Amino acid sequence: MKKRVVSLLIASCALLSAQDFSAQANKDKEALKEYLEKKFADKKGATAFFPYSTKDELDKNFKWGIKGDEFRLGSYAFNKGGREQYEEVIEMPPYEDAIDAGKELYDGVKFKNGKSFKDCFPDTTIAGDYPKFVKGKGVITLTGAINSCLKDNGEKTWKQTKGKMADLEAYFAFTSKEKGKKVNIIIDSKEAAEAYERGKKEYYSQRGYLKLSCASCHVQGAGQRVRNEYMSPLLGQTTHFPVYRLKWEGLGTLERRLKGCNKDQGENPHKPGSKWLNELSYFMAYMSNGMPVDGPDIRK
Amino acid sequence: MKKIILVSVVASLTFATAGLLEDAAKLDVKKVCDVKANGLDKVLDIAKKYNQEAIKLGVEFKRLGVKNREYIKYASEAIKAKSKVTVIKYKSKGKDKTKKFDTEYATWRACTFAIRGLQQKVEAEKTWRMAVPGDGFKY
Repeated sequence: MKKRVVSLLIASCALLSAQDFSAQANKDKEALKEYLEKKFADKKGATAFFPYSTKDELDKNFKWGIKGDEFRLGSYAFNKGGREQYEEVIEMPPYEDAIDAGKELYDGVKFKNGKSFKDCFPDTTIAGDYPKFVKGKGVITLTGAINSCLKDNGEKTWKQTKGKMADLEAYFAFTSKEKGKKVNIIIDSKEAAEAYERGKKEYYSQRGYLKLSCASCHVQGAGQRVRNEYMSPLLGQTTHFPVYRLKWEGLGTLERRLKGCNKDQGENPHKPGSKWLNELSYFMAYMSNGMPVDGPDIRK
Repeated sequence: MKKIILVSVVASLTFATAGLLEDAAKLDVKKVCDVKANGLDKVLDIAKKYNQEAIKLGVEFKRLGVKNREYIKYASEAIKAKSKVTVIKYKSKGKDKTKKFDTEYATWRACTFAIRGLQQKVEAEKTWRMAVPGDGFKY
């Protein structure tokens, strides 16, 4: 009995301290959700959020009343025309071959030392558990973990943006989605909370010769139109990676997309695997915490 | 002793970085990057000085595939060769490409880009929270 009480006490203390470290991140996530739900609540209040859109555009192109998990569809959550096109493409998803290729990499490829990815990742339903903060190592993304597995087993690491990396991640995402897994990012130490805060600060900092922050497009700018495309919201943005982009004519990792965003801001992009990009991903993924893993998916 | 030396080196480097950032924040870009008033060599030296810091801090600018360090490198070659045209060679999506600029323009751009990268870094320290829902962003 005594032992049980002590264990319970230890467990509650651990839970409490984990909640303390993630308290600010949870507040941020709720505030973001509240803002986006208000922004996409109804046409009446929309003119304040979309000053450049005509009444006709708000009337015809938008779906209103978007809530929480629906945001994982990106701009297709609210953009009627885009949603129709998306639903047509998704009937014959162009990423299916990549899932098969990823399964083959997981099941069929043996490293020179006789081991395989199964030794590093016995469970494939882990797409929602990354990025992780590891004491002494910092933020580790799924891409980083896959490359560490290769390196630790004497293999050459992979390109972090597409190819085999995206294929294996597609398989992990697919099996996670099939199992109904949710994004489960953990902030359980002071160092992890600091990494999250650094990622958040960079997300909201204006940068590049265009002086845009990530938030300019995906928080304040979410739902606004650039040329003919509506910009997606931060909420749910990491749930569906890797994505097959029509622009790329192929599958790419979150690192590939972030590199593109960084370039669009007018800045020399940060390298995939860099501390900067990993911490940015950590913050972004936390904003999708609790949402269903939805990858791989299709985007324009 | 070793520790003291290491701490002093780190401290002086931190101080130097902070110094350059503070310096950059006070500059009037239009004035210091004016190639007609200051001459190409002087403006390019300013670009070199501040862009090194921008690279270190991860805030170097890149426009239409050209990194600011490339504007600096090729403008420097053009000035040495007394050429009025700067030919920039760069890679985009794995392909070799070239762009031509007036040397005065390339030098001015290198200088403004280098300083603005740092100025924005300083400005962002004060402004980033203004965009965070639940913090400084009001709607």
